[in-house]
Amino acid sequence: MTGSALLSTWFPEAASTHAASVDEPFYWIYFAAVCFLALFMGLVLIQLRVYRRQDRDQLGAVTGRPNPVFVTLWVAAAMGLALFGFITGLPGFINQTTPPWGAFEIDVTASQWAWEFTYPNGHVADTLHVPVGRPIRLNLGSTDVSHSLAVPALRVNKAAVPGREVQAWFEVTTPGTYALQSNTFSGDGFADMRSELVAHAPVDFGAWMEEVSDIFKGRTLVEVGELLYTRHGCAACHSVDGTKLVGPSFKDLYGYEFDTIEGARVLADDAYIRQSILEPNISVIAGYQPIMASFTGIIDDREIEAITAWFKTLSSKGGAAPDAQEEN
Amino acid sequence: MSVGTRTTAAETQPSYLADKRGLGEWFSTCDHKKIGLMFLGWTVFALLVGSLSGVFPVAKSLGGRGLEPRFIFEATTYHRLLLLFLFLVPALPSVFGFFLLPMQLGARNMALPALSRFSLRFYVIGLVLILVSMFTGPIATGWTLAAPLSSTDPGSFILVAAGLFCATLSWFLTGINIFVTVHYKRAPGMGFFDMPIMAWSLYLTSYMLIAVGVLFGVVIAYLAASRAGDVGLFALNPGLWTDYFWFLVTPSVFFALLPGMGVVFEVVAGISRRAVVGYRMVVGAMITLLGLSFLTWGVYLAGQGQGQDPTTTLVFSAISLLTAVPVALLTYGLLATMNQGSIAGDGPDTFMVGFLLHGGIVCLMGVFLASPAPGAYLGTTMFVSTQLDYLVWGGAVFALLAGLHYWWPKMVGVEYSREVARIGGIFAIIGLNLALIPRLIMGTQGVAQDMIAFVDGPAGLSELSALGWLIATLGMGVVAGNLYASTWSGRKAEANPWGAGTLEWRTDSPPPEKNFETPPEIEGAYRY
Repeated sequence: MTGSALLSTWFPEAASTHAASVDEPFYWIYFAAVCFLALFMGLVLIQLRVYRRQDRDQLGAVTGRPNPVFVTLWVAAAMGLALFGFITGLPGFINQTTPPWGAFEIDVTASQWAWEFTYPNGHVADTLHVPVGRPIRLNLGSTDVSHSLAVPALRVNKAAVPGREVQAWFEVTTPGTYALQSNTFSGDGFADMRSELVAHAPVDFGAWMEEVSDIFKGRTLVEVGELLYTRHGCAACHSVDGTKLVGPSFKDLYGYEFDTIEGARVLADDAYIRQSILEPNISVIAGYQPIMASFTGIIDDREIEAITAWFKTLSSKGGAAPDAQEEN
Repeated sequence: MSVGTRTTAAETQPSYLADKRGLGEWFSTCDHKKIGLMFLGWTVFALLVGSLSGVFPVAKSLGGRGLEPRFIFEATTYHRLLLLFLFLVPALPSVFGFFLLPMQLGARNMALPALSRFSLRFYVIGLVLILVSMFTGPIATGWTLAAPLSSTDPGSFILVAAGLFCATLSWFLTGINIFVTVHYKRAPGMGFFDMPIMAWSLYLTSYMLIAVGVLFGVVIAYLAASRAGDVGLFALNPGLWTDYFWFLVTPSVFFALLPGMGVVFEVVAGISRRAVVGYRMVVGAMITLLGLSFLTWGVYLAGQGQGQDPTTTLVFSAISLLTAVPVALLTYGLLATMNQGSIAGDGPDTFMVGFLLHGGIVCLMGVFLASPAPGAYLGTTMFVSTQLDYLVWGGAVFALLAGLHYWWPKMVGVEYSREVARIGGIFAIIGLNLALIPRLIMGTQGVAQDMIAFVDGPAGLSELSALGWLIATLGMGVVAGNLYASTWSGRKAEANPWGAGTLEWRTDSPPPEKNFETPPEIEGAYRY
């Protein structure tokens, strides 16, 4: 890095509409502050030289009074600098407080020490993908300690605090991949809490969205089933290790017979699982309450198939899952 | 009026250093000068240990191997804790508050001599507890001790909390002592407006030490309790800790520049042989700063992005900008005091210039941070942590050095080599800025605060910064070595080598234990 680049490059190359409202005030204040400091230090150093004591007992003017004109000018200059800094920085700040209508929304969850970005279609990723030229609104939250989301190239820096929802918004101007990090110390793994923001051209973003929307792409049926289990929050009521929660555990469920609360006997086969997802309270296993909400219209047939395939891998009576057979 | 003729101490009195020697005497002494000297030793020790723990992150940034992230975070945590809580805030008020204040007021000792001893003891206990925790189980919570982190950290957090409690108790006791001394120990005939600016700055700092010392002690005890027994405020609402922390720490940390300003006023007036120009204006500006500094904490809290609502942030930014007025009045007072003076160069002046340069940078950085849009972006970057670095080394260390080079003849009764002091000081200034300006650039480039060790910023800046630290360390080493060497090789100092006009120069160098045989006569704050 050369000396001149060192002096001129304070910021990473700007890639958002917001960047100019940070950089421009910064450079103006920088210019004014350097002049101010040079003036002050110049006056100090010059006076030190000009009024230097020539012989040991020399006594200059012992007392003096402040010059009202100079005092006023000096205070006005300092206050002017401060006010100027405040006013030039104001528009960008106000602009940042209100995300525009129709912004593309992404939920961001920070935790020790990872990022989770959730898209409107339910896709969850650990990198942030956004389209260029469209306002993006981030709803920031944290599951444990305070974090913050910073993307220097966009001049975005917002806190992610547990128990509060904080919003940030930006509009990327240049496609590319930008560093994304936390600026708030969060414990031992803090240095790993880095990710990327990938800004796509609108067309590419559409293609990316379509690709990730298809959860079957690049995944086996069993993997899709497990993904759906985490994505729909099933874990809140159903364990996979045999622990009895609000609902029955998915371990050793498929292929077993159970008593229902009506006293009937039911075999947990493909049809029963399908029924339990779409109309869950028709036939409830004894010992549990009929309180589950229906997933009709949320989970489709193909996904039920995936869930069933995953259940088979969790059960000793499930037999080998179709995917596993292929691999063997 | 010639230099060094007025001494009211009897010639036969032995100096406080020659009188009553021996370790037991130093341990049990109530003499303000000995307490002040011991505070100098201990605070400089805290500065050294704190600075040394800052070496590990720098080594890591240069590609040091075998340094685990956890270890780096521990080093960073102690680096900041020691520098801020055991050096920046207590150093100047303790060293000069004890050594100098009674002499400047024409008194024989502090108003509460026994309490002076306890100030020092609690400080040392606090420091030792924190150092012990480095060996029993260092913490890595970051220096803000953020509540959910500090309750789960595996280190000896309770020891650190106990150490900070003792340290802040020492702030409180020192504050009380200064406050009472100023009220009750001024020489007969000395009004408040006959006190030197240094005494004023110590008096105003005492308000800060009393208020923050006791409150911080209470909240740190609460924090420790919420960790130990799942009780107390911060177990219920961890976010509350952040509010308390910044509310208490921001004013005490930034007000730490004020005793430094007092030192510099005293140095400028003394070596220029002038009364401070616009004395009442300067005092008024200092009082205003005391008030405003309690109101600026919201800027840093907002900078940390704790979900504060935007209007509040703007109000705090606007309030913090008002500090420009008192700061302008203070700097004007300094410039006007030099004007038409008779300035003795070579000595404290290099360090005074360093303090003004770095203090100026700290204040001007405040303009960037209080400007809403840049402030929101920079609030958690290395830009902010570099402001703290400038405050600690550029502000407090240079003010301490300016004061030491001014009062050294009074403290130990010898003259140091002024040429060596100047050369060392210039190297320290160049080195420090070479170390910190690259960090400012890393900050605007987006590197997170205090994250020197894990930097992806522009190549070469870490190396440049490390080179700067090396030069600064060499410079500081020369300066410190020069002072130390003077204690055995220095020429004996006269009572008033600068021809200064405040009371401490009217007694011998070093002074006898009782400072003044008879209370000195008062004719205004500065008399030449």
